[in-house]
Amino acid sequence: MNLQVIGCSHHHSSVSVREKLAFTEDQVRSFLDKYHQSFPKSEAVLLSTCNRTEFYAAGKSADGVPSSQQMIEFLADNRGLKTGEISNSLFAHQDRAAIAHLFSVAASLDSMVVGEAQILSQVKQAYQLAVDTGHQIPLTHQVFQTAMKVAKRVASETDIHTTRVSVPSVAVNVLTKKIFERLADKRILILGAGKMAEETLTYIAANGGKDIVVTNRTRSRAEGLAEKFKGQIAHWDDLDKQLIDADLIVSTTGATEPVVTHEQFKSVAQKRREKTLLILDLAIPRDFDSKIGNYESVYLYTLDDLQKECEKNRQSRQSQWPKAQKIVEQETANFFQDVHRRNSGSTIALLKKQANEVKNSELERLLGRLDRLTPEQEAEIEQSFHRLVNKLLHPPLKSINADQSSEAGGLLDAMKRLFQLGD
Amino acid sequence: MEWLQKISITCFAASYLVVFGIELSRVFFQLELRRYIRIAFTAAGLFAHTAFLAYHTQLSFDSQGIWLGSWFGWCLSGAWVLAVVYLWLSLRKPHSLIGMFLLPVTLLLIWFGNSFSDAAPFSPGRAKSVWDMVHSFSMLLGTVVVALGFVFGIMYLIQSRRLKQKRTGSFRLPSLEWLNMWAERTLIGSTVLLCGGFASGIALKMVQQTSTPSSAVGEGSIPWSDPVIWTSAVLFLWLLTATIISTFYKPARRGRKVAYVVTISFLFLMLELVIVWQVGHATEQQAFGNSRADIVAFRSAKVAFFRGAKDDNLGGIS
Repeated sequence: MNLQVIGCSHHHSSVSVREKLAFTEDQVRSFLDKYHQSFPKSEAVLLSTCNRTEFYAAGKSADGVPSSQQMIEFLADNRGLKTGEISNSLFAHQDRAAIAHLFSVAASLDSMVVGEAQILSQVKQAYQLAVDTGHQIPLTHQVFQTAMKVAKRVASETDIHTTRVSVPSVAVNVLTKKIFERLADKRILILGAGKMAEETLTYIAANGGKDIVVTNRTRSRAEGLAEKFKGQIAHWDDLDKQLIDADLIVSTTGATEPVVTHEQFKSVAQKRREKTLLILDLAIPRDFDSKIGNYESVYLYTLDDLQKECEKNRQSRQSQWPKAQKIVEQETANFFQDVHRRNSGSTIALLKKQANEVKNSELERLLGRLDRLTPEQEAEIEQSFHRLVNKLLHPPLKSINADQSSEAGGLLDAMKRLFQLGD
Repeated sequence: MEWLQKISITCFAASYLVVFGIELSRVFFQLELRRYIRIAFTAAGLFAHTAFLAYHTQLSFDSQGIWLGSWFGWCLSGAWVLAVVYLWLSLRKPHSLIGMFLLPVTLLLIWFGNSFSDAAPFSPGRAKSVWDMVHSFSMLLGTVVVALGFVFGIMYLIQSRRLKQKRTGSFRLPSLEWLNMWAERTLIGSTVLLCGGFASGIALKMVQQTSTPSSAVGEGSIPWSDPVIWTSAVLFLWLLTATIISTFYKPARRGRKVAYVVTISFLFLMLELVIVWQVGHATEQQAFGNSRADIVAFRSAKVAFFRGAKDDNLGGIS
């Protein structure tokens, strides 16, 4: 198998380059169709996310697969760019390195946030798009299926996915679960309608949060966010009433002064009648007076508090990285051994078949010349020819088997040429 | 069933101890396999515990006694209920360190029961009635539920304190909402059960008095001066008041208040048990009206009973 990958990612390419090489689903389909017209003997998969664009090409023989330079030119041409504009920002890997790279990407070891789960679904989606184009992709099928298996193995054998590293995910997936058993029956109040509020709401909705109320000084922005998450909009002037009813508050306003003062909260606290309240104050400067956290039933967490937890989790993930990397290396080696075993199996069968044909023809010729042989003598001669062939084939077959572990594969090609075995 | 006789307290106590050790290790490092080992040891311990209780219950029926009506049987049965609850919770909340709090109470009960394996039953030499059974089971379950409430209450207070201090690390406990809900349920449950235990105890006393005219206690009256009776009454009244208040006044059942109530209930219960132990509730002195000859006769009978049980048990009670 010959596999090539070229692409760009957040590691070495700027956002401006990544933007130019980003594809929508329809664009991916069109790209793959054009590719199959240009390189009909090979297969292709295109993975495009906000942090990376990767173009995989595979073929049975090297002459069917485009070179990395051809792939860069094809990619640039498709995006209406000059090769020089992007070539310095792209990486290229071949065969083993390409496989190891794909496995790392699928296992989220190459992601900006190591261990994030989204990348695996994006890899699956990229593979599915390639399948949907209707072209046969047996080689990439094998590679991508193994990549998904590797990702699952990394997820189950390491803790790389278990810890959260972004502030909203720690806030919702870790902190709220320590206080609330479920979010479905909780009133969730969102103050502000910026990106942080939206990201936090995504996690809240994923955890079953339904009763969402958004309030913002600019009502139009609150409307957009409330509509997206099927929530209600509250008037900013009704803030105190909303504070009384809420179980979870996420505050992300851009206000320069505290939005809720201690004095203001005193009357709210009385009316809440000791109901537990979790406040996630994700705003800078803070929206809630720190004294509010002194109430027995109030748990007030600021951005700083949550960032400490994120940092701990990042370190914890980092400690899991070598273990995950080892799994990727193991699986890459196993994958190549499997591929090599399959290839060498057919070569060995051809070699044995050819040797047996020669043996049988010579045996037939010899037995035809010798008269008055007893059945025992005939059997002895046959046995002797059989042993001769086996002894002659033993050293080359042993070398092929030894070559499997080295993954070089060169010997197999040499054997095919030497004995004129063909495919 | 000879193998039943060979099961000793050591078998299940050791299993629970191993599980407790595993629970402790969870604070320091993570290992997925440990969960299965923990559940396997708990299940094995519970199996041995059940077999042990079944065998001794059979023995007590053979000798016309209620095995539950002694410190030994009472503590071991209570520990069994707690172990069942632990197994259920460890399946339902596999990531929470519940065992760290629940297992010490279970082990303490086993140790306590084992220390009093030779103590007399609470009401020896008396024909066993339905009231006896209701009283024993209600008090046993009531005590277990109070102990559970205490465990949930303590976990709530620790979790709440950790969250207030912004410590959200690897020490995993159930959510505050879950702990609060179960602390509240145990409060109501223990009130109902102890109410049943208290009422059946009074009924039992009254039945006793009408059937034994020579009783030392005045006929038709409840001996309120008996420390066991009045401490039980105080505990019951405390639970009843706490339950009524928390039912009708929302703030009382929110936050740390329920946790404090169930913790105090447990301390009350401990106090009562110490009094029962010291005074000897319905034991030989009360049953025989302090008659020296009766006590001597009862002790001889008791020694014979336990010797017989132990001979059958081939030293199973270690």
